[in-house]
Amino acid sequence: MMEKEFAPAGLSKQKPITASKPFALYRHLNKLRWLSLAVVFLMLILIPLLSIYQHYVAAQGYNHLSPSQTLLYDTMEFISAPFVDAPEHDLDAIKGTTWSGQLFGVKLSDPLAIVGQSAASLKLYWPLILTAVIPLLATLIFGRFFCGWICPATFIYELNSNLSVYLSRFGIKNNRRFHKNIKYLVLALGIGISAYTGTLAFASIYPPAVLGRELYFSIALSGFGGGTLFFILTLGFDTFVSRRGICRYFCPGGALYSLLGRYRVVRVKRLVEPCNDCNKCNAVCEFDLDPMRDNFGAECNNCTACISVCPKSAMSLTLSISDQPNQGPGHQSRQYRQQNSDHNETIQVKNIS
Amino acid sequence: MNKMTITTPILSALLLCTVTLFSSLTYAHHVLGRPSYSLNEDSNTPPSMAIETQIGEYFVTYMVFPAFPKPNEPGRVNIYATRIDNGAMLDQAITFTVRDDTFWGESIGGATEPEVIGQQHIDDGVYRQGFLFKSRGSYIIRAYFEKNGEPYELDFPLQVGAASPVGPIGAAVGFIFFLLLMINIVQRKRIARTKIQQGHTA
Repeated sequence: MMEKEFAPAGLSKQKPITASKPFALYRHLNKLRWLSLAVVFLMLILIPLLSIYQHYVAAQGYNHLSPSQTLLYDTMEFISAPFVDAPEHDLDAIKGTTWSGQLFGVKLSDPLAIVGQSAASLKLYWPLILTAVIPLLATLIFGRFFCGWICPATFIYELNSNLSVYLSRFGIKNNRRFHKNIKYLVLALGIGISAYTGTLAFASIYPPAVLGRELYFSIALSGFGGGTLFFILTLGFDTFVSRRGICRYFCPGGALYSLLGRYRVVRVKRLVEPCNDCNKCNAVCEFDLDPMRDNFGAECNNCTACISVCPKSAMSLTLSISDQPNQGPGHQSRQYRQQNSDHNETIQVKNIS
Repeated sequence: MNKMTITTPILSALLLCTVTLFSSLTYAHHVLGRPSYSLNEDSNTPPSMAIETQIGEYFVTYMVFPAFPKPNEPGRVNIYATRIDNGAMLDQAITFTVRDDTFWGESIGGATEPEVIGQQHIDDGVYRQGFLFKSRGSYIIRAYFEKNGEPYELDFPLQVGAASPVGPIGAAVGFIFFLLLMINIVQRKRIARTKIQQGHTA
């Protein structure tokens, strides 16, 4: 704890900064997010392995398996035995990918899958639509949280984004910017192509769908499809052309979630009083937003990286359906203090660590 | 902020379209779906694997005996084909061919020509084709017939011996993932510093 003195200009003596400090655990949400991304990714690897194990059980083929298959059988049996009695049937409780799947009997689908399927069939199939209700509600509340917290492609893209930053040290210009509205065009085109051709066009270019499918294909069926090539090319695009460019500018799912999450209830906000305009929040924002000027918009996926990096605890979560207007420079910034240097009055500000 | 030219997004869009188009040209040839196994646990017969699918006007069941064939051990493929509309059995010669389905054979083009393993006629409602593979590997069995002027090509996967746990692409993908993970862990402080430096100059 320390004490500082500076010109007031807007600070209230009756309202110390300690009152607007964010909840301490918010700083650790980013770690929780990485854990969530890792768990989802591992699930996508585990599900096909469990599926193979189901086949072996169903075939009663233990005595016919090779040593590596026996090892797989034993490992999956060890993992699943506490939860299931008859693996051949009970393991069906968890299957699918983030595109569409089943989690302990609850069927879930990506809203983009519903939009694409409805466009392709030109009709609404309510049993399918109902599977998107939970993701839809979560998006209305948390915005584009799927992109930041669940998407298996994000797990890879974000690791790759750090590689891009590392490579930029060697002179590689990989931070080109495009128009953010391109992804809405991709979404509209995808709907149009689906409706015209009767096929689910999004499934070919939507990174989490491609990745989930290819992981299953490679593990359960020992092969790779064209989707693997597509995904590696997107990684190349992110690495050498535009960091997180696929998510920012081209992902149709990101476009849909941005639209649905425009009036999200839970959003990040800047606390202007402790903010010192250090710009770290902007620097770590994967989506190139401008948290330091209160500009989050529909794109923010509540990844909370800005909260965890802020040295002044000036980022917090709030319940509101809109961003607050630009509050100006942070009250601890040099710019703010110069603007208000004509004030002679000084006040005590506590708990700024 | 980098200055954006009009050509950059156009070229990128073109690249994306090309990639998308290229992806759509890569079609799957496997019959997907979960195989089923139908022996009870008291049977002495090795388990078989069955795959059911519909193609054109026919409902087709493909069975492999044994379910886990090994090199130098004889095996058999059974095919049952009935019309979807009236259940009438297909009565037409079926030609069975086999080809290599490994990455080097299939994708790179290093495969030998598909080999005809036999032509079978219906026998008691079943088309039976025996096989014996000398080496382990992933193969595609193709059953081909023509009906009413329409060619029917049914491709089924057949794994002989243990599948290799990691193929060349799997190893490459695993290496890329390992590299990403290591750079993120080992260089995390340098990456964070670079991000913040670049944030200040942006």
